[in-house]
Amino acid sequence: MTYSPAATVALIRDTFREAFARKIFWGLFGLSTLMILFFLFLLRIDLVEGGLAAVSLFGRTAGTTDVDRVVRGVYGGIATFLYTWGMFLAVFASAGLIPSVLEPGRIELLLSKPVSRTHILLGRYVGNVLVVSCNIVYLVLGVWIILGVKTGIWSPMFLVSIATTIFIFAVLLSVVIFVGVLFESAALSTMIAVGLMIMSPILAQTSTMLRLLSSEWSRQVWRTLYYSLPKVYDLGKMTLDAIQSRTFNGYMPIWTSAVFGAVVLTGALLIFARRDF
Amino acid sequence: MDGISLRVARGTIFGLLGPNGAGKTTFVKMLLSSVRPTAGSALIFGRDARDPEARRPIGYLPENHRFPTYFTGAGMLDFYAALSGMEAAQRRKLIPEMLDLVGLDRWGSVRIGKYSKGMLQRLGLAQALIHSPTMLILDEPTDGVDPVGRRQIRDVLTRCEEQGVTIFINSHLLAEVETFCREVAIVNKGKVALSGKMHDLTAGKGYRLTVAEAPEAVVDDLRAKATSMAMRNGFVDFQFATRQSVNEAVDLLRAQHCEIEALAPTTSTLEDVFVRTVAQ
Repeated sequence: MTYSPAATVALIRDTFREAFARKIFWGLFGLSTLMILFFLFLLRIDLVEGGLAAVSLFGRTAGTTDVDRVVRGVYGGIATFLYTWGMFLAVFASAGLIPSVLEPGRIELLLSKPVSRTHILLGRYVGNVLVVSCNIVYLVLGVWIILGVKTGIWSPMFLVSIATTIFIFAVLLSVVIFVGVLFESAALSTMIAVGLMIMSPILAQTSTMLRLLSSEWSRQVWRTLYYSLPKVYDLGKMTLDAIQSRTFNGYMPIWTSAVFGAVVLTGALLIFARRDF
Repeated sequence: MDGISLRVARGTIFGLLGPNGAGKTTFVKMLLSSVRPTAGSALIFGRDARDPEARRPIGYLPENHRFPTYFTGAGMLDFYAALSGMEAAQRRKLIPEMLDLVGLDRWGSVRIGKYSKGMLQRLGLAQALIHSPTMLILDEPTDGVDPVGRRQIRDVLTRCEEQGVTIFINSHLLAEVETFCREVAIVNKGKVALSGKMHDLTAGKGYRLTVAEAPEAVVDDLRAKATSMAMRNGFVDFQFATRQSVNEAVDLLRAQHCEIEALAPTTSTLEDVFVRTVAQ
């Protein structure tokens, strides 16, 4: 089979067009812009002797503190926002993008083109990841540059949150796509992906729970769930640790989440390849 | 679908007819691999229909299409042409030509959410034609199109036929099919109930003689006397123009001890043929 780069670009561009036709994506960008404007105009940091700062908000001085702590605190706050509300909004905004492609009258025409079904679905997936990536890069890079210029502190570790946030979104999007292909329901896709996000901090209490659970069987179920499901909470914590220059224990949350995403995405591709439309 | 087998000659306009639920759209979807057959196979120009490359020479306009409304007319053509593997420079050159061909040259930059049903249909036809396919599959191509638009579509299809494009039309509109198509097949209950050349099937007033089984030599003799012949549900229909010729045919069949299934006077528009075939 001949691979067509023009088809890949077309599928990605189509996802961008549809994403921006949906007002919710403008909402995401609007929210990011508001945060950038907030740091640009309203938060004023005065450096005193290089290491201390007076932090002013809405023109009122909030006190003096260590500037490095302030900056890392802001980075941590933004990373936390990205992993919680940002991720929820991105999943919510993306959930309709798969069922819309599967609508009768649209999917038949797509499938009539000399493009494989895997190519179509992966094009949509990559397009969706890129749309959300643009938003994440815009927000994180914007805040990083503004705080860097205002404080002179250029902490590259904050930029790690770009990679980790995109990564965890890509994993959650595989769930959205899997459920979308299977049930063609944006609401169900959102519910399941957000459900996984909510379960993540609960499952992350593994060491405590393994002590509290009475039977070996229930401990085994807990371990299986923890190791097989995506670790949004653990990845968020890893990012915060990286920003705060703290050490973290291993890369297990990354590779287990990657395996989960790969398996679920492969499942979605297999189901899509076999479905009748 | 139940064992449908059709052969469409290159360069012809072929009409697939059938009542609602007969399986016309399912058949087309199998050709385009939207639906997988539980048994059997579909070949397009000798290539397995499941292979995406088999669909490269095909232009398709689905029934009840839903083009995304965020596209402009030109944007929509650009998207589907890119999926057909066309390079950007080629697309830029052909998009205005295609819009002009279907009478939408002034609408290229307008979002298709503002298009009427007929305009969408013409844009859909341009989408099917842009990559110069050798076969066009059109599902209800004139559905919702006004008479002027219909004429425009008919002119475009005639031009395609002159260029040797094979056109496969799936439609309910019998008058349209009668005007457009050179050959037709009528599908009923998942099977091909009737197929043949249009001028044979609509041979005009006369007598229709239906024969159950006859030796090949007799069939050849009858075909020579008849104005048309068509295969239908295991029977052979012969159309005779005069009372004398049909009587000679009956004499020949009786002399050869062949079974006559039916003999009836006929008036044949495609609608008559369709109704008669579907009713049986």
